Amino acid sequence: MKFFEFLLRIDRRIIYAVMAALVILPLVRPLGLGVTTGPRARVLFEALDSLPEGKAVLISVDFDPSSMPELYPMLTALMRHAFAKNLKVILCGLWLPGSGLADQAVTTVPPEFGKKYGEDVVYLGWKAGVDAVILGMGENIKNVYPIDYYGHPLDSLPMMDEVERLRDIPLAVSISAGTPGYADWLLYGQSRYGLRVGAGITAVSAADAYPYLQSGQLTGLLAGMKGAAEYEVMVQKAGYSQTYMPAVAAMDSQSLAHVVILVLVVVGNVAFFATRKTKRA
Amino acid sequence: MHISTSVLTWVAVILTFGIFSFLWKDNPFYKFCEHLFVGVSVGYSISLTWYNSVYPDLVTPLFRQGQLLYIIPFALGLCYFARFIPRVSWLIRFPMAFVLGWASGVAIPAFFQTNIIKQIQGTFLTPSIFARWDVFLWALITFIGVICSVFYFFFSREHKGALKLVSETGIVYLMVGFGASFGYTVMARMSLLIGRLQFLLGDWLGVIR
Repeated sequence: MKFFEFLLRIDRRIIYAVMAALVILPLVRPLGLGVTTGPRARVLFEALDSLPEGKAVLISVDFDPSSMPELYPMLTALMRHAFAKNLKVILCGLWLPGSGLADQAVTTVPPEFGKKYGEDVVYLGWKAGVDAVILGMGENIKNVYPIDYYGHPLDSLPMMDEVERLRDIPLAVSISAGTPGYADWLLYGQSRYGLRVGAGITAVSAADAYPYLQSGQLTGLLAGMKGAAEYEVMVQKAGYSQTYMPAVAAMDSQSLAHVVILVLVVVGNVAFFATRKTKRA
Repeated sequence: MHISTSVLTWVAVILTFGIFSFLWKDNPFYKFCEHLFVGVSVGYSISLTWYNSVYPDLVTPLFRQGQLLYIIPFALGLCYFARFIPRVSWLIRFPMAFVLGWASGVAIPAFFQTNIIKQIQGTFLTPSIFARWDVFLWALITFIGVICSVFYFFFSREHKGALKLVSETGIVYLMVGFGASFGYTVMARMSLLIGRLQFLLGDWLGVIR
């Protein structure tokens, strides 16, 4: 019994230290546990993969830096996939603090594939008024965004000649950390303009998104860092990109941390019930 | 090891350690970092809102291009600030009424279509699901789950006998849902920790890529 009481009295800071050590170790020395791909990520991959060359994909950057470890790898992996397939990419955002993150992706990813701004990729930026923005884009994108994030008039960007409104976009992916996000694209983009929507979301909000996936409203779902890693693996296996994959690199740490938490939950419960019995006696 | 010489990286590292110091206990360094974060976030948001939305969508058309129709949204926007002047604070009702009316009109049909009609359709046991046994099984589990979970929130009749069985099955489904949410939350929090450690080990210390 004393052992169980000892377990229940362990200082939380010791647990933090153990956890930190077990997360750092696989980052420095990868264990090579591997990443398996699931059907939800595959649906999104195949949807994007099957689009004809030259079509435009909309990626909505609906997250801020606090969700960056989970969602930014999704953004870059999706962009790499799209560029490898010679698709055009339109970026926009419903989250104000995410503006800089999309800008960072626009400046780093397209050059890897020799893609040019204005011809292969356009970043519209952020606008206030979530529902009004999506509904406006359904009618005419240039009315909502007369200029892009960098101040170029949309009329001066050749890529936007072929994309007038949401109906000209065969697939949109909202990478969202909450509200506003994929739910708003479904609410206004899909219900009104028939927009096909895929989603990449934080693990916290994943359980909420499954009903939309089951009903067929979402075309694929990337949930958390694992979802990002799955997409990175599929992009790499298809030979589209061989660049560093941050989400895949983090998966060993993630797995080890989950094992530790499982052990702690089991041990904590056993110790709790064992000591409770003694206390009652 | 290749330690970064970038000042910005070092600032980020110091602030990261400041936030992590809360794990030991609450302290002034943590408080400083927390307040700095709030201040920077607000300042960043205000400047971006001005340059991305207010200036190009209101100031330019109204004051530089002379499109007088924009006086209406400008006046409605100003009414929000009436809240700070008690004598005319009632003016705030105009923009609020406009926003509520517009948003309700736009959102209610879309919400009904997306979250009710489509979701009910998603629970239907259509002939196509009988094509494969696993699809049928999952559809049946979903169907039972929806019925039982919704019934758990039906309070007009006491839950006893067969009704108790249905409602308790609903509780099981709800608990499974909460468990899944908790599991995903653990994964999310670990991901954030890993992201920060990747920054410290990679961008700062240069130990990893």
